[in-house]
Amino acid sequence: MSLAAENLAIGYGRKRIGEAISLTVRPGQILCLIGPNGCGKTTLFKTLMGLLPALDGAVRLDGDPLPRLGRAEIARRIAYVPQSHAPPFPYAAFEIVLMGRTARLGLFAQPGPADRRAAEAALARLGIADLAGQDYTRLSGGQRQLVLIARALAQEAPLMVMDEPTASLDFGNQAAVLAETASLVRTAGAEGRGVILSTHDPDQAFALGAEVLLMRAGRVFGQGPPEEALTGESLSAVYGVPVTVERTESGRLVCAPRMAR
Amino acid sequence: MIRVLVALTLLLASAPLAARTVTDSAGRQVEVPERIESVFAAGPPAAILLYVVRPEALVGWPRALRPEERAYIAPPYRDLPETGRITGRGGEANLERVLAIQPDLIVDFGSVRDTYIDLADRVQAQTGIPYLLIDGRFEATPGSLRLLGEVLGVPERGERLAEAVEATFARLDGVLAEVPEEARPRVYLARGPAGLETGTRGSINTEIIERAGGRNVAEAPGRGRIVQASIEQVIVADPDTIVTWDPIFYGRVFEDPLWSQIAAVRLGRVYLAPTAPFGWIDRPPSLNRMMGLVWLAGLFYPERWKGDLAKETKDFYDLFYHVDLSDTELETLLRWSEGRPPN
Amino acid sequence: MERGKTAQLSLAGATSPSLALALVLTLVALVLAALMIGPFPIAPLRIFAVLAGGGEAQEQIVIWNVRLPRVGAALLVGAALAAAGAAYQTLFRNPLVSPDILGVSAGAGLGAVLGIFLSLPVALIQLSAFAGGLAAVALVWLVAGAVRHADPILVLVLTGVVVGALAGAATSLLKVLADPYDQLPAITFWLLGSLAAITSADVWPALPAVAIGLVPLLLLRWRINVLALGDEEARAMGIEAGKLRLWVVAAATLVTASVTAIAGVVGWVGLVIPHVARMLVGPSFGRLLPVSIAIGAGYLLIVDTLARSIARSEVPLGILTAVIGAPFFIWLLARGRRAWS
Repeated sequence: MSLAAENLAIGYGRKRIGEAISLTVRPGQILCLIGPNGCGKTTLFKTLMGLLPALDGAVRLDGDPLPRLGRAEIARRIAYVPQSHAPPFPYAAFEIVLMGRTARLGLFAQPGPADRRAAEAALARLGIADLAGQDYTRLSGGQRQLVLIARALAQEAPLMVMDEPTASLDFGNQAAVLAETASLVRTAGAEGRGVILSTHDPDQAFALGAEVLLMRAGRVFGQGPPEEALTGESLSAVYGVPVTVERTESGRLVCAPRMAR
Repeated sequence: MIRVLVALTLLLASAPLAARTVTDSAGRQVEVPERIESVFAAGPPAAILLYVVRPEALVGWPRALRPEERAYIAPPYRDLPETGRITGRGGEANLERVLAIQPDLIVDFGSVRDTYIDLADRVQAQTGIPYLLIDGRFEATPGSLRLLGEVLGVPERGERLAEAVEATFARLDGVLAEVPEEARPRVYLARGPAGLETGTRGSINTEIIERAGGRNVAEAPGRGRIVQASIEQVIVADPDTIVTWDPIFYGRVFEDPLWSQIAAVRLGRVYLAPTAPFGWIDRPPSLNRMMGLVWLAGLFYPERWKGDLAKETKDFYDLFYHVDLSDTELETLLRWSEGRPPN
Repeated sequence: MERGKTAQLSLAGATSPSLALALVLTLVALVLAALMIGPFPIAPLRIFAVLAGGGEAQEQIVIWNVRLPRVGAALLVGAALAAAGAAYQTLFRNPLVSPDILGVSAGAGLGAVLGIFLSLPVALIQLSAFAGGLAAVALVWLVAGAVRHADPILVLVLTGVVVGALAGAATSLLKVLADPYDQLPAITFWLLGSLAAITSADVWPALPAVAIGLVPLLLLRWRINVLALGDEEARAMGIEAGKLRLWVVAAATLVTASVTAIAGVVGWVGLVIPHVARMLVGPSFGRLLPVSIAIGAGYLLIVDTLARSIARSEVPLGILTAVIGAPFFIWLLARGRRAWS
């Protein structure tokens, strides 16, 4: 199982936002998408999931070009974790997670006992079984994000696309969400997932030990292991502010913007 | 138009009482009981028709009479209950109430177009009460009176009324025969407090103007209807006669500078129609218009139309409305018809 | 309502049997009560004898020809409008949406008014109303489809508003042209909605049309639910959102146009009833739809029974549903949106 993009051009209709993007994600791998606002991260995600047509190049799922696959077939292979949001109606958290099973149901089918078990297991896996009966709309941002990850788990797709999963979370929740993500990927065997996530925080790439795709203005600026792709030089160029990457005493790399005097 | 009356008595073995089959104005064959004692009026025009032809049979008014109308209705019938219009004619009467009254017959007076034929058939099928449609057009009046008189078991009454109507029509035709089209008054019917609503030529609301020998200045292609006019259009049309029943409009038309240059206003030929118990020229379009016809003929052709309005008013209210007008009541109506309404 | 209860029901995943039983029993009681109420004097318990085929001829007519068709029509109209409302509120992710958002009522109104204007027989007026409703929504769908925009739902709703306004203008024009004695009262009465003229001949053709519309809504109830999360998420979860939306719109339009054709424009039911249902069983469409159908049917039965019995003459349904619905809606708003967020 793999998600691969070759020489991809992305955008809306005639408006081209990015091009010449190539990447591959497999189960057991994390790809971290880093870049300033407006560099095309969300557009790239939508294109990777087939929600937007590729303007050029191709996205392949396991070698199958996306346009040849139906929505349900794609959803059985890639799960999407959107930024936490509030739907207009107060669904219970459990129902939100259960919706992840849709791609595995027949057109007219309702979720059955097996689907309920899968949803319960997903909630338990993330340690939020106690949230099941609560209104999703009343959960905190971090809890919602975990529920959405549980939904992606219930979808049982080997690949997962996460759109800024830590945006708008407090420090503790960011750490919790990252830890869960890491553990999803590291799970051995068929349970291990491939994750592609976007973030504003380059440190997360170091923390996750992820592959990095550094983007600027719709183009790939750097690609590879974080130590190579994320340097003071490349980050300064991409974000337009001076950045240094330093090694802490524990040996971990962190980056910090240099404050103007 | 031929008013056909086919009152056949069919001998049906299964019929409980001797029933008759009647052909109504829409050509529908309706089986009605031999004796008819109570009739439900589907709408205001039908109520007036029934009241005129055989008031004893009328079970109620579509809307209760207003105080100023009551004086001109014979006492036993002033207090008939309010029954509402029947479904389709605006449709607020409750079918169950109709059934609870148990009338022998439902009568509708007015349009006999498809929608009403269909509605009549439906109500008849649903309630089992025979439903007659009677043609409400002015020209059809004598035939309609004869038909209803026959159906309600008072053929002499129907005949007498029909002859009275025919006599009025004939008198008018006699007068009009001598008046070429160009010499006839050019009339504007002013409706509403601003006087800017009118009926175009051919509409049921202005039928009376044409019948009385006036030329309606409001013209529009197609079937006549109620339209909104602008003051500019009225000024251009420059009618020499204006007829209204709205006292508000009548009260201000002579003072309003916008209307002041219109011929009818300059000549003082703006006329206010009385509306008790029913409008003389319209509202609703039923037999009440026969009174207005006589009045308008006198206004349009004061030289040629020989008639005594006071006497004719008294006779009309007596023959049609079953009331013997007192001198005060008659005076009130006459002053009203001269532009001085009560209050 | 109570959060805990909602949650419990959600976990149970199905409408609790006791609630279902309560709804069905209430409906049966309402039907019997409605059959007993009316200006024609029939002793309440006598209706059973009449229903069994006994009673006098007059009583037979009142129960079988007048009250039963009305009761049936009220159930059908209420159920249909509430179902369409629940479907649209979920589909458009907006609790303030009613079944006529895409112009079905305006189109049906124009069709009916045109029929009345042309003095057509009643069955053709109804057919014209039905066709008008379908045509208006079809036009909205085609026009919205031709407009390229990032938010297809917004375009759809705005096009619905535009087409609805045009149909309303055409209706007003016909009202101006209509014969004030014969046609205008009929038009006004029709636009306010009424079951006063209903006969069983009207109910029979509408029944299968409503059933055909409700079937896809019931079958697709799980997927419709997922659409409430928005197009993108629904598609990411494996739903062909555009196609599903077409099915829901077609089904809801069929249902609404069918009942509008026989009952006229009855407002508020499709807007308010889904809220009541949501308070009882939560937003999940699988439960919301059947409960909305049951409550809508019962509600309109109550309203129509009032319409034919509170005054000497018939009160148009649209007036009563507004008088009851509008204050209720204000109350919902005053509760601080808790019913839907």
